[in-house]
Amino acid sequence: MGQGSAFGTRILVRRATPFAAIAAIFAVQALADAQPVLAFPLYLTVVLLVSMQQDTVESLAVATAAAVAVLLAPLAAGAGPADVATAILLGAVLFGVALGLGALSRRSRATASEAHRRLEELAEAEQKLRTTLDSAGVGLALADLDGRFLQVNPALAAILGRDRDGLTGTSLVDVTAEVDRPAMVDAMRMIRHGDVARWEGQVMQLRPDGAEVPAALFIAMLPGAAGEKMLLVQASDATANRRADALRECAAAVRQVIASSPGLEPAMPELLAAFRENLGWHEAHYWSSRTEALTAGDELAARAWQAGVLAAEVGAGRSAVGVPVIDTGDVVGVIELSSRTSKRLSDDEVSMLSRAGVEIGQFIRRTETAQALRRSEADHRAIFERSPIGIARIGGDGELLEANPSLLLMLEHDVDTMRSSAWPDMMRAYDQAASRAGKPTFLAGITDGSCVQVRAATGAGRWLWLQLTATSIPDSTGRPEHVLLMIEDVTAVRETSDKLAEALEAQRAAIANLEKLDTTKSEFLSIVSHEFRTALTGIQGFSELIRDGGLEPDELRAYGGYIFNDADRVNRLIGDMLDLDRMESGRMTMRATDVDINDILMEAIARASTSTVTVEFKSDLDARLPIVSGDRDRLIQVVSNLVNNAVKYSPEGGMVTLTSRVEGKYALISVTDTGIGIPAEEIGHVFERFRRVRSGAAQSIPGTGLGLTIVKQIVEMHGGKIWVESAVGHGSSFHFTIPLAPEGAAALQLRHG
Amino acid sequence: MASSPNGAASFTVLVADDNEVAQRLCKRVLEKAGYGVLIAADGLQAVDIALAQKPAMILMDVAMPGIDGLEAMRRIKAEVPAMPIVIASAHSMASDRERFLAAGADNVLSKPFRLADLISIVEQLAQARST
Repeated sequence: MGQGSAFGTRILVRRATPFAAIAAIFAVQALADAQPVLAFPLYLTVVLLVSMQQDTVESLAVATAAAVAVLLAPLAAGAGPADVATAILLGAVLFGVALGLGALSRRSRATASEAHRRLEELAEAEQKLRTTLDSAGVGLALADLDGRFLQVNPALAAILGRDRDGLTGTSLVDVTAEVDRPAMVDAMRMIRHGDVARWEGQVMQLRPDGAEVPAALFIAMLPGAAGEKMLLVQASDATANRRADALRECAAAVRQVIASSPGLEPAMPELLAAFRENLGWHEAHYWSSRTEALTAGDELAARAWQAGVLAAEVGAGRSAVGVPVIDTGDVVGVIELSSRTSKRLSDDEVSMLSRAGVEIGQFIRRTETAQALRRSEADHRAIFERSPIGIARIGGDGELLEANPSLLLMLEHDVDTMRSSAWPDMMRAYDQAASRAGKPTFLAGITDGSCVQVRAATGAGRWLWLQLTATSIPDSTGRPEHVLLMIEDVTAVRETSDKLAEALEAQRAAIANLEKLDTTKSEFLSIVSHEFRTALTGIQGFSELIRDGGLEPDELRAYGGYIFNDADRVNRLIGDMLDLDRMESGRMTMRATDVDINDILMEAIARASTSTVTVEFKSDLDARLPIVSGDRDRLIQVVSNLVNNAVKYSPEGGMVTLTSRVEGKYALISVTDTGIGIPAEEIGHVFERFRRVRSGAAQSIPGTGLGLTIVKQIVEMHGGKIWVESAVGHGSSFHFTIPLAPEGAAALQLRHG
Repeated sequence: MASSPNGAASFTVLVADDNEVAQRLCKRVLEKAGYGVLIAADGLQAVDIALAQKPAMILMDVAMPGIDGLEAMRRIKAEVPAMPIVIASAHSMASDRERFLAAGADNVLSKPFRLADLISIVEQLAQARST
């Protein structure tokens, strides 16, 4: 109230002042009786001042007052019309100035009030913005281009854990945790240089107490009022996001480990680390058996095992959670996470852990299956690689897919040669062998365990016997996908069996020979004993007669003759047998001397002629026959044997002819008779022992049956040959050859010289 | 023959043997003992004489030219089954004796033989015939 009346008074005073000034000027002018012209500048000054400061009405009122004052004086003094006119003119000038200035000042005042109003609006807007900033949930700040905070709202201050005043002038980089500082510096640089208009990211903020807070930052360049640029910084507490991210990352890490790890054992430390590091647990342990957990007194783990669902304990100084690892409904392990702080589990974390437990359970099952598979595959691979048997995998088109080291070693090929030439050759060999055995060819019908033996050359050119055993391996649809071929080097076996077969054959032949020899020996013994007994029959019988006495002298003589003849025959038999034995066993030695065959032939004729009268002898000897080198006695034996045979088998009046001639490097001697001849079926056997021709007219001809055998032996011992030509009823010709002595020609010349 | 002391000349023995010495020995011994003796020098001859002259018995060698003694025996026995035939052979192993008896021989005499054995074998057959 008081203030209001003071205000009104001030306005009154201000409004009255120009009038007072005009009155004062008029008074001074009147007192001094000065010309209005002289007072005019003063009036003008007052009008000017009022017009500039007061509104139009007021300034016109003042101007009117001033004009009246200027007019009043001449009028009062009764001055001349000139003075009155001057005064009117002056008054008009004052009035005009007031009018003009009033309009002028009115306009300027309007402009000023507009500006004022605007300022007020701006202030109001700023106030509103400030309120908004202050009450915003999100942290907001303005910063200069270097990132120094100009204004910070309480939310941001709260996020950063600092007061607003303390933040002013602090740089964004300063409040960033060490770990993200380079990224922040980088971001600032990029924005400053205009590389990016705005930057978004999640960075750890550093609180004064050293705690780090995750914050989502949004920084944008703002045009400033005075043209300089500013940064708008928006920040929100990303702790919740962080937590969600951590859960996500943990789940991702778990999946990553599961996906990349070959088995539970190597995976488990990584899994436990993923839980520890992502979710902030201090310790992580895996119980692979319930008993183990119980024994260790870990009831939480045991409980989780029992329940099959996640079990948690939250205490003041300790929190723990047991996460069951579940494989198709069965708990196969428990992951226990513990913290040394009170740690509440969010629903998200619980579900994430539960899911992880199931995934790990599936992983365990998968790896166990995979491990079993791998083991099996490793076994097979080891068999393939280390088997002493050659193994090859052959594709459906007959191409070699793989060959094991044993096969390459066996065949002395590298795998390329094996593929390009050795295997195709071998497959052809297989097909040939299979078709011979009536089996399907390799590609036409691969049968399990089909087995053939083939010949194959190695890279070094050795030939091997290979046993190929083919087994088709079906694909998932059951069709034969490829063929597993086992290749064994059976060369040694084959060669051994071949040798064995040879040896067996040789043995069989030897046995047969022995049996034959045995039979021959038995037959020989039988024949010999028969010959002896036959001879002894006469000897024994007649000697018994003689012994018993009472015989006539001529009887005695005759019986003595029989006894003598048979005894002689026995003696000859023994001699022949011993001779033959010595010759056959190689124990007979020849006393080689120069022998004139013709002499021997002539002597034989002479001897035979004296004892035989029924047969005529003829000789056709080559006088130029060279001396031969031989055992004279043995050659005599040969000739006389043949001559005796010829005589024996010749009928009365027959003729025995002896011939000699040179035949190449041999002396050829023939003894020909006109006797009974030798039947065709017997002629091949005449030189065999005891093979006397007994049939027909030959039946009564005596002999040991060893003569021709001995003759043949002697001839062969001399390096000659003996053979016979014969025709039944016409006679026989025995021919034999004896090699000429090397000096035979000289000896011949000597003989004839 | 005529010189037979006991008139047993009616008991004739056919000696079939390719060995002349054996023929003479048998002939000498058997005639001395009072038996008649016929000689054959081989198997065919033996069959001929045996069937033609019907001797009281035959003393048959085995190893003879032509058909052997066993074949001759078979042929004779085929005609005259009751003809006593004694095989006299230098094949004198135990198996041979069995072989001959199996072939139908009435007795076997191994060569060489004691004269008394020859006479005893013939006497047995002579007595068997006379009784």
